[in-house]
Amino acid sequence: MGSSRGQKLSGIQKQVLSLYRGFLRAARSKSHDERRNIESVVSQEFRRNAKDVDRKNFLYIEYLLRRGNKQLDQLRNPGTTGLSSLQLRFSKTNHAGPSSNL
Amino acid sequence: MALRATVLRHFGMTVRGPPLALQPWRSMSSHAEDHLSKEEVIERVLAVVKDFPKVDPSRVTPDVHFQKDLGLDSLDNVEIVMALEEEFKLEIPDKEADKIDSCQLAIEYISNHPMAG
Repeated sequence: MGSSRGQKLSGIQKQVLSLYRGFLRAARSKSHDERRNIESVVSQEFRRNAKDVDRKNFLYIEYLLRRGNKQLDQLRNPGTTGLSSLQLRFSKTNHAGPSSNL
Repeated sequence: MALRATVLRHFGMTVRGPPLALQPWRSMSSHAEDHLSKEEVIERVLAVVKDFPKVDPSRVTPDVHFQKDLGLDSLDNVEIVMALEEEFKLEIPDKEADKIDSCQLAIEYISNHPMAG
């Protein structure tokens, strides 16, 4: 997302940033340690995807957005203390492109 | 804001408070008369930005652009705006948050926000 510097954000960029903001907001409602953990995992995941995913691969970015929004819904549930249950699925991400689970 | 200044002046009060260090009650109170001065908003916005891990504090000025001048990316930009939300006890809607990409815009938004504390 580095090349967006000073430019107007595209619709899909706004959605990504909004999702990122959503995760950071949801993290605020967790315990201090959980919050730090969530922030670190989420920040790493977003930065990795920003670096690895082709900016023009809209299909895959839209898939990541849908998946992220589902994970965010789970995280917002007060019973979810952290990302431990979601972490596995984060690390299994296929960064090569659209995968069979699309 | 102008009305408020007039009313306060009428009661012999100054709009501008003493320096932050001399306001021990600040953090405890959210009364209307505890309104933030522009100077205080600037001071606290700059402090939050300087405090951001990836930022070189010596480069932070009131008119610095987060991404162009401080080498931050759009995710860092989101984090800074969220840190400002916490500092001023606000929740900034996405539409507004996306526009805040410099200290100047942050200062402007916060000093115009009636709920900033």
